[in-house]
Amino acid sequence: MPGITLRGLGKRYGGVAALDNLSLDVRPGELVALLGPSGCGKTTTLRLVAGFLKPDTGEIRVGERLLSSPASVVPPERRRMAMIFQSYALWPHMTVAQNVGYGLRFQRGVARAERARRVAGMLKVARLDGLEARYPGELSGGQQQRVAVARALVVEPEILLLDEPLSNLDANLREEMRFEIRRLHEAFHITTLYVTHDQAEAMVISDRIAVLNRGRLAQVGTADALFEAPRTRFVAEFIGKTNVVEGVALSGDTIVRDGLRLRVAGGGLAAGARVAVSIRPHLIALVAPAVGGADALRGTVKRVAFLGDGVDYEVEVAGADLTLRVAAPTSPRLRPGEAVGLRIDPAACVRLAEDDAPGAS
Amino acid sequence: MERRGAALAGLDRALPVWAAAALVLVFLMALPLGWLAHMSVTAERGGFTLGHYTAVFADPALQRALWNTVVLAFWVGLVSVAVGAPLAWLTARTDVPGRGLIRGLVLASFVTPPFLGAFAWVMLAGPNAGYLNRLWRSVTGAEAPLVNIFSMPGLIFVVAVYTFPYVYIMVANTLALIASDVEEAAAMLGAGRLAVALTITFPMVLPALVSGFILSVLQALALFGSPAILALPAGFHTVTTQIWSLFQFPPKVEMAAAFSVPLLLATVVLLYLQKRLLGRRGYAAVGGKGGQRRVIPLGPWRYPALGACLVVMACAIFLPYGMLAKAAFSRAWAQPLTWGNLTLGNFAFTFFEYSATRAAIVNTLELGFLTATVGAALVGLLAYIASRRLVLGHQVVAFLALVPVVIPGVVLAVALFIAYTRPPFVLYGTLWILFVAYLTKEMPVGYAQSDATFRGIPPDLEEAGRILGAGRLRVLRDITAPLARSGVIAAWCFIFIGVIRELSASIILFTPNTKVMSVVLFDLKEEGQFGAIAVLGLVMLALTFATVTLVQAALGRDVLGARD
Repeated sequence: MPGITLRGLGKRYGGVAALDNLSLDVRPGELVALLGPSGCGKTTTLRLVAGFLKPDTGEIRVGERLLSSPASVVPPERRRMAMIFQSYALWPHMTVAQNVGYGLRFQRGVARAERARRVAGMLKVARLDGLEARYPGELSGGQQQRVAVARALVVEPEILLLDEPLSNLDANLREEMRFEIRRLHEAFHITTLYVTHDQAEAMVISDRIAVLNRGRLAQVGTADALFEAPRTRFVAEFIGKTNVVEGVALSGDTIVRDGLRLRVAGGGLAAGARVAVSIRPHLIALVAPAVGGADALRGTVKRVAFLGDGVDYEVEVAGADLTLRVAAPTSPRLRPGEAVGLRIDPAACVRLAEDDAPGAS
Repeated sequence: MERRGAALAGLDRALPVWAAAALVLVFLMALPLGWLAHMSVTAERGGFTLGHYTAVFADPALQRALWNTVVLAFWVGLVSVAVGAPLAWLTARTDVPGRGLIRGLVLASFVTPPFLGAFAWVMLAGPNAGYLNRLWRSVTGAEAPLVNIFSMPGLIFVVAVYTFPYVYIMVANTLALIASDVEEAAAMLGAGRLAVALTITFPMVLPALVSGFILSVLQALALFGSPAILALPAGFHTVTTQIWSLFQFPPKVEMAAAFSVPLLLATVVLLYLQKRLLGRRGYAAVGGKGGQRRVIPLGPWRYPALGACLVVMACAIFLPYGMLAKAAFSRAWAQPLTWGNLTLGNFAFTFFEYSATRAAIVNTLELGFLTATVGAALVGLLAYIASRRLVLGHQVVAFLALVPVVIPGVVLAVALFIAYTRPPFVLYGTLWILFVAYLTKEMPVGYAQSDATFRGIPPDLEEAGRILGAGRLRVLRDITAPLARSGVIAAWCFIFIGVIRELSASIILFTPNTKVMSVVLFDLKEEGQFGAIAVLGLVMLALTFATVTLVQAALGRDVLGARD
């Protein structure tokens, strides 16, 4: 089972860089999600890996095999990959069995009987048995999706590519299919690239997430790492909700913003430098306003939104032109206008780099 | 080794196929047009000259032909709008009875070869023997005819009744795209019915209206048959008949070439204007998905409106078709249809006695099948190349395939005559020159159809095949071709219909051994054999309608283009 290596990959359309100097390793058997807003280059990356596009710079390898470089591109049909499309791309003129069996026609040494056996086996795994003779137009959305999955897996590809495969499903089915895809990955362990713009989907499905922004890799890591230690403001805001506070370093471990002082764990700030930190709403504690202490702040509740399993507060911080989002338990419930104290652990303040800083961990 | 293999694999193995198709296209277009331009500026002994142009434009007879064409085209455009637009509105938006029937009749008018209509109207409204004029005389006792079809107004009338469908199609399709909610939105803001019509509906339809006007004008400019049948006996020429007569003995090919160029330029300019208008029409189409279209009740006007539609249809369909049928079964077409006058003799004469007919029918069918088959394959391949961007300069491919739209049949024939009467390609005198002419002339219609077909097939479906191991050509065979089948059949039919009715290029390119049906129809006119004309005309109509039925079955909708 080989992995995928992307080195310095670049692609321009007209004068616009769709992808700029992307390097990424997908380890053998790993599922990596390419996550980002539309236009970030994630689909371009996937299509480069599939061989539908030719890179302007850089190269793509699978294992030791060079598949793409500006000089040459191995055509898609010879890359031993499979892909699941956003539209599913099921062939409307072929039955379910014909759709699923199509890729096996091109595998040498797979006899007709063997082909039928493998199709039947895959249809069973995908819970499509009994639907062999149906046409795609006669299936529900979920069934169509499973046909697309079966068609890709039956050829036992070295690499599996998925292009937003769940975005055409309704919300309930989508949630169910997330776990289904994760289950299939754990069963087959095919090296997989998964494109999505939905951060929750990426977190459930993938081993690691590569966040892309404007054609560049912003950060790559596990869901935990990205959430707890976002490197840039873009990553912090794209993965989960956060408060970004900008200020000036007073000393190695303190920043100020107007009357507000924040302690930042780790230290090493250059005094006088402009610094931005990310503070997750659930890491801010609401306390009684009288309680003092080095990390204590005071503020006023501006807005309260009850979310069922918690309450989302907007708190205006006293002495600074700043409003913080705070996620708190449903009790005790505060009202708009109430004075409140805030406690922020220095470890909750994650220092952010500039968005445009090149390179990534 | 690895690197070398990858480099080889990187080449698209099907590239020669794409390149060959593109080259055929360039060859088809560039050779005749190049010769046309060359010939129009080359002196008899060689060398550059503008003499042909000055000769052409100094000649008062040619100036008159030019002016006649302008008058004809302008009035045809105007009449087409006056007839086509109300008809479109009535069938698209009101509760006029028989909307499906009216639409079907507009379609029939659209596919009727205009020269057949002209023949029929000669029998109906010729000044002496014309059926309507005889009826008029016998009813009123008058001496003078009611109408004389051999006149400019007569010509305009006969051309317009087969041209108004262009306006109808444009306007009806646009109206079908404008959901009533944009009108209701204005009504909610306080606009009355008239204000809504003037400020919302009319401006949205206007580009389609003007565009339809331009298409009608273009049709009238390029038409050869009707002017030849109606204007020549009346003693005047249009540009197309003038070019044709420059080809009669002794042929003045250079003059014909020089006279073709203004017609070509006028067409280019008009078509460019029409495209710009349509390009800006986008907003009308965008708003149109799924919105409800409210039906406007006509109240007491329902039946008068139907009556008006039927009058139009009488002029385009009922009277001419009836006349053709009557002439086909009569000993003397001008006499009343009595038992004594009833005969099948015209059929016997047409098929067994008149020597040229059977050969012409065979030629026409051969050319029809050959051109439609080669043409459908070629435009299919070209549209595929262009829509999937398979070669460098795929935009040029799309452009070139549509270029013949701007070439009137007569001009194309002049160009092909020049190009293929000299080495290395001597095709004149064979059916092949007609084949090339038809292939070129029908290319845009077939291409437009094929282009729509391939645009309707998402590239995903092909990519899914590629990634699972199928090469480009294999995907074309297994996935694209089956999905494109009905669209390709439709393209085949459109080309076939175009070929069997083609007159304006054939009339210049035929030789005694390579006559086609339309040319024989013309010969028969010279001999006054209207019975045989009617028979052959009915055969042509039957072929046309059979093919139209096939298209509708393949596409699952009517040929006029809007959904129901």
